[in-house]
Amino acid sequence: MKAFQQNLDKLKATDTQVLGVSMDSTPANHAWAEQIGVTFPLLSDWGGDVTKQYGVYNEQYKAARRATFLIDKQGKIAQIHVDRTALDPTNIVEVCQRRKLKE
Amino acid sequence: MRKLLLCTALVCLWSSTVVAQARSVANPTAEMKLKVGDAAPDFTLHDQNGKTVKLSDFRGKENVALAFYVFAFTGG
Repeated sequence: MKAFQQNLDKLKATDTQVLGVSMDSTPANHAWAEQIGVTFPLLSDWGGDVTKQYGVYNEQYKAARRATFLIDKQGKIAQIHVDRTALDPTNIVEVCQRRKLKE
Repeated sequence: MRKLLLCTALVCLWSSTVVAQARSVANPTAEMKLKVGDAAPDFTLHDQNGKTVKLSDFRGKENVALAFYVFAFTGG
């Protein structure tokens, strides 16, 4: 999530809101956000309903897989990155910048 | 001649498996439930400050980078 925080201004400039999601509790997310200096929302999907709906629930770890979905202004999925490719938001930033230019 | 044909067939078979394997590695999103172009399922969740966040509230205003992470207090 630190990598997203570092790119937050660039993403904001392309009208993109970052939302982190995990199956952690709200207090855990609160403590972690303070510790690593995350200012965007970290959402608590306690129970994992949303994680399962997006198909990124990992049965073995009883947690979400690392995955990033880029959702456009129409509410449609524009990009999906999973596991290792989801760690680096550079690609998301570039795609958002290109889309912004096209508008 | 028959040997040559057999060899060619084997090489073809081998290369097609290699290509198939390479494809599944290059495209880890292949087995995903949701695909590019699908409507993102709406949700309402609470952020770290207890504030309610609804995905559809961003519609028509902003794109959303929805980043799932495994556990708080871990890397990534």
